[in-house]
Amino acid sequence: MSNLKAKEEKAPEEVKNMGGRWLTDHIVCDEVDPLCNPLGPNNKVVFAPGIVTGTDAPSSGRISVGGKSPLTGGIKEANAGTAFSQKIARLGYKAIVVEGLPKEKKLWLLKIDKDGAEFLPADEWTGKGLHEVFPLLFNKFGENVGISAIGVAGERLMSSAGICFNDIDNRPSRYAGRGGLGAVLGSKGLKFIVVDDKGAKGVEIVDKDAFKKGTKKLTEALTTHDITKPGGSLNTYGTAVLVNIMNEAGGYPTRNFSEGRFEGAAATSGEAIHDICNERGGAGKTGHPCHPGCIIQCSNVYPRPDGTEHVSCIEYESDWAFGANCGIDDLDAIADLIWLSNDYGLDTIEAGGTIAVAMEAQLAEFGDGPKAIELMKEIGEGTPLGHVLGSGAATTGKVFGVVRVPGVKGQNMPAYEPRAVKGIGMVYATSTMGADHTAGYTIAPEILGVGGEADPLDADKAALARGFQEATAFIDSTGYCLFIAFAVLDIPEGLEGTVESCNGVLGTDWTTDDIARIGREVLDKELEFNKAAGFTKAHDRLPEFMKYEKLPPHNTVFDVPDEELDKVHRG
Amino acid sequence: MIEIHLYGKLRRFTDTLDPKRESTLLVPAYEGDTIRDIIERIGMPMDEVGSNIFLNGEYSHPSRPVKDGDRLGIFPDDMQLLYKWHFKKEG
Repeated sequence: MSNLKAKEEKAPEEVKNMGGRWLTDHIVCDEVDPLCNPLGPNNKVVFAPGIVTGTDAPSSGRISVGGKSPLTGGIKEANAGTAFSQKIARLGYKAIVVEGLPKEKKLWLLKIDKDGAEFLPADEWTGKGLHEVFPLLFNKFGENVGISAIGVAGERLMSSAGICFNDIDNRPSRYAGRGGLGAVLGSKGLKFIVVDDKGAKGVEIVDKDAFKKGTKKLTEALTTHDITKPGGSLNTYGTAVLVNIMNEAGGYPTRNFSEGRFEGAAATSGEAIHDICNERGGAGKTGHPCHPGCIIQCSNVYPRPDGTEHVSCIEYESDWAFGANCGIDDLDAIADLIWLSNDYGLDTIEAGGTIAVAMEAQLAEFGDGPKAIELMKEIGEGTPLGHVLGSGAATTGKVFGVVRVPGVKGQNMPAYEPRAVKGIGMVYATSTMGADHTAGYTIAPEILGVGGEADPLDADKAALARGFQEATAFIDSTGYCLFIAFAVLDIPEGLEGTVESCNGVLGTDWTTDDIARIGREVLDKELEFNKAAGFTKAHDRLPEFMKYEKLPPHNTVFDVPDEELDKVHRG
Repeated sequence: MIEIHLYGKLRRFTDTLDPKRESTLLVPAYEGDTIRDIIERIGMPMDEVGSNIFLNGEYSHPSRPVKDGDRLGIFPDDMQLLYKWHFKKEG
């Protein structure tokens, strides 16, 4: 960005088989000084589609975005499902690397198409909400382009700013949300990337038969598994199907992680969202895909009482962050808060977690939706209080002297209580990303096996947390949505198909045994970066209050010994 | 008595069909009862019951014994997300 030039480089041989998180990590580790200031000249932001992204492989339109996080101070990879990623891949780009700082404080738009790339001034779309700006951009550049954007939160360098992408209907709603990478793009003055894949050559598939065979097996697994199939749990109720389930399990963090059950769970559940969409009709919709080619389709469009569109999407984490975590049991208020978050370009998990910490600090009462909305508007208006809140839950907690700040490495926890689900606590503690549920989804096996014949998994917890983090790192590199894991970790042919489809694109001969190897390679790179950035095992710990505050209804503390946590990556 | 919380299509075994509210019912429990006995006592077909059954917040198999004062949460087969995953472990 320092000379506003876009340069095309041939991908070196060593990155030939990489994609997604694997590739963003590789470039960040190679080119970014782990001790750099995340908002200074030496950080970079890397966008990379996954290995099979841009092909017709099902549910594979993920984009990985990497860099050094201003929120955690460590490496970050955040990903989202969007046609933007598919278009980048079809143009033949393995990655876009954004580097340098502009000489003058000004924001830019990078336009990419088959003939190259150019920078355009972004002044006319600066300082506005993304819901206003996206239609203007699609009007100017055509309905078929893909867009990456930062909102006012990123412009103001707030460390809970995410990177926003267009959904299947061109809404500003799909987020590589976590870790504040939106602020890094803000520091570089890159407000938008607009990509047009008209006339693109498409993704080269080396072994078409292997690819076809693989995607067929994967599709079969996704369309038959109870969780991912059409009419299955995710498709019918969305990810918020988990609200009632985690609440019943006593692991649904409520009022800033002070309780494990929320009396308003039913009113804010996936079942309630599904019911309201049907009852209000109009624009309301469940079973909505985030990008073309997704066959799971777990997104939704939430309607207002008159049937007009309110927001997309109320997914589990956002629903919880502004709902149970803030004690708010009103879906319409939650919809308002998600809309504002999408409009300002914020990570909903960090924003909701911050409002909850602010409530703990008595800036509002728990459960007060209108006051929560006022606090969010402080962020949108960029007031001094807004800047504090926009810097995330840990900063807000520090400013207001709050002890109960449920984060790891400066990143607030998502919607699973580690005192009730200890396996996820181990992942939160040891993830290279800070508290992150997608780093390794150990929820199911951990809750399993506490009675009757429910087959306790005999693996020790550290091995489980390690195994899931490795599998996740692999899936994040393929471009497939992490939710394929529900089906492919259960149906062996689905997992084979996942690997075979990668072989088809790359011409490799990986087997399912390579999943842990590749996942390990990805994690080791991240650990190496974090170590050089100053992280020690003291950072792989949950916040202290979880060790002495008993969480109802199970009335347990987080009691996994530190030695167990240290075994996760070094075991 | 056992307090039962039902979800999705299983709400029809209670008086509250509104998914925005809690659908609960109280069922007597006898010595030696298991979760399966309680399910059968309500008249709920086992094939509509998914794998997401919680006894006092703990994921449980239908063969688990119950006692007076327990809370039992049951999700239907089309509303389960926690699942018995068979993850290939390293080594």
